[in-house]
Amino acid sequence: MIRKVWLLPWIGWLVSLPAIAAWDVNMRPGSTAIAREVYDLHMIIFWICVAIGVVVFGVMFWSIIHHRKSRGAEARNFHENTAVEILWTLIPFAILIAMAVPATATLIKMYDNTDAEIDIQVTGYQWKWRYQYLGEDIDFFSSLATSREQINNEAPKGEHYLLEVDNPLVLPVGKKVRFLFTANDVIHSWWVPDLSVKKDAIPGFINESWAIPEEPGIYRGQCTELCGRDHGFMPIVVDVRPQAEFDQWLADTRSAAAAQKASATQEWTLAQLMERGEQVYNTSCAACHQANGQGIPGAFPALAGSPMVTGDIGAHIDIVLHGKAGTAMQAFGAQLNAVDLAAVITYERNAWGNDTGDSVSPQRITELQQ
Amino acid sequence: MPDPKKNGLLTAVLSALAAMFGVQSDRNRQKDFSSGSPLRYLLTGVLMAALFVVGVILLVRLALMLAGA
Ligand code: HEC
Ligand SMILES: [Cu+2]
Repeated sequence: MIRKVWLLPWIGWLVSLPAIAAWDVNMRPGSTAIAREVYDLHMIIFWICVAIGVVVFGVMFWSIIHHRKSRGAEARNFHENTAVEILWTLIPFAILIAMAVPATATLIKMYDNTDAEIDIQVTGYQWKWRYQYLGEDIDFFSSLATSREQINNEAPKGEHYLLEVDNPLVLPVGKKVRFLFTANDVIHSWWVPDLSVKKDAIPGFINESWAIPEEPGIYRGQCTELCGRDHGFMPIVVDVRPQAEFDQWLADTRSAAAAQKASATQEWTLAQLMERGEQVYNTSCAACHQANGQGIPGAFPALAGSPMVTGDIGAHIDIVLHGKAGTAMQAFGAQLNAVDLAAVITYERNAWGNDTGDSVSPQRITELQQ
Repeated sequence: MPDPKKNGLLTAVLSALAAMFGVQSDRNRQKDFSSGSPLRYLLTGVLMAALFVVGVILLVRLALMLAGA
């Protein structure tokens, strides 16, 4: 009985296998044909590695135990064995080639960007993504939707903590979508494991990749190139819909953009601008200037009590529209629409005790943008 | 084995090949190291590395041609 003690750890390991599977440490099988191929390659190569490990360690431990000193083993002193050395060079070479052949076949497929039915330009910004459906007149930003309270441990964390956005990338099911990646400021990287797409987004370069989503559903990903302070706060959400729903979404998004344009010519009250401005501020500005307007000393200036924000309105509008070259303050004139810009500037001029009473109209912004 | 003095080029090429492969027998190594100037081995090595690069380039050209690109 006592001799079977060595079995115990193995039994423990076998019993815990289902728990390990549920722990989700393995690569995800993905939801496109390419993703499944990548997953299969990963599993084949994994099992090849397991087999090599078993053989190598098996021979090693058998030799150590079989030729142990207590059985009177004598070390043989020799310097080299050319035949064995050639063998242990050729065998790994053959194994590597055997793994490279199917891997290259998959890579070639992954690089075949031809015959796409939809082209989407994906641009990385500090710290959000911009999606432009080329030829479709659709262009929007996608920012983190998790509230600052959850991030600061002031509220319980939701199910999709840091993996939720305001405007997901919407794709139709079963169509080949080509992505063109670039970036506005620093290098980012767009990664959605389920689609098996992971590409660097580099300023001044365009990288390509593609996917054919097969199942409607929500797929989540993240920026995977360290890109500054909020690198972990620019997730990706892909919303795959049946063709009819996708067409409906296209139409809705276009008319919402038109309504947006129209609302820039309406009259907005101070209260309306403040309400809208707070939302815009929290998604677009609070990452740096903080929700309480205090900024981060040494990095991002406080807007509460700032001489510019409480003083010259023209300079305030100018820095928000055009940014400040060489600093993290971006040109928001190209990122936000006239109403959002007017609202956020109005909000800054009246929140946190700034109480200037100023309100900036969307019309004023529209004129400056022309 | 041929006399290294007589058949210098062949031994140099074989030794360079062994070096590229990464395995050489001790006997050949001793012989190479006692055969005078290392210059011949250095030059052969550089030449074969260049040939290898050209070979890879040609192989890729051929593969692309066959793939119709
Ligand atoms: C990526 C970080 C970042 C984001 C996001 C950001 N800012 Fe800034 N902002 C800065 C930095 C850095 C400066 C200081 C620039 C300088 O050196 O003068 C600044 C300066 C300003 C100033 C001038 C303050 C002063 O007192 O001089 C205003 C106004 C301003 N930002 C408004 C905004 C608004 C409105 C938004 C959102 C639409 C926003 N910022 C988003 C980083 C940011
Ligand atoms: Cu990033």
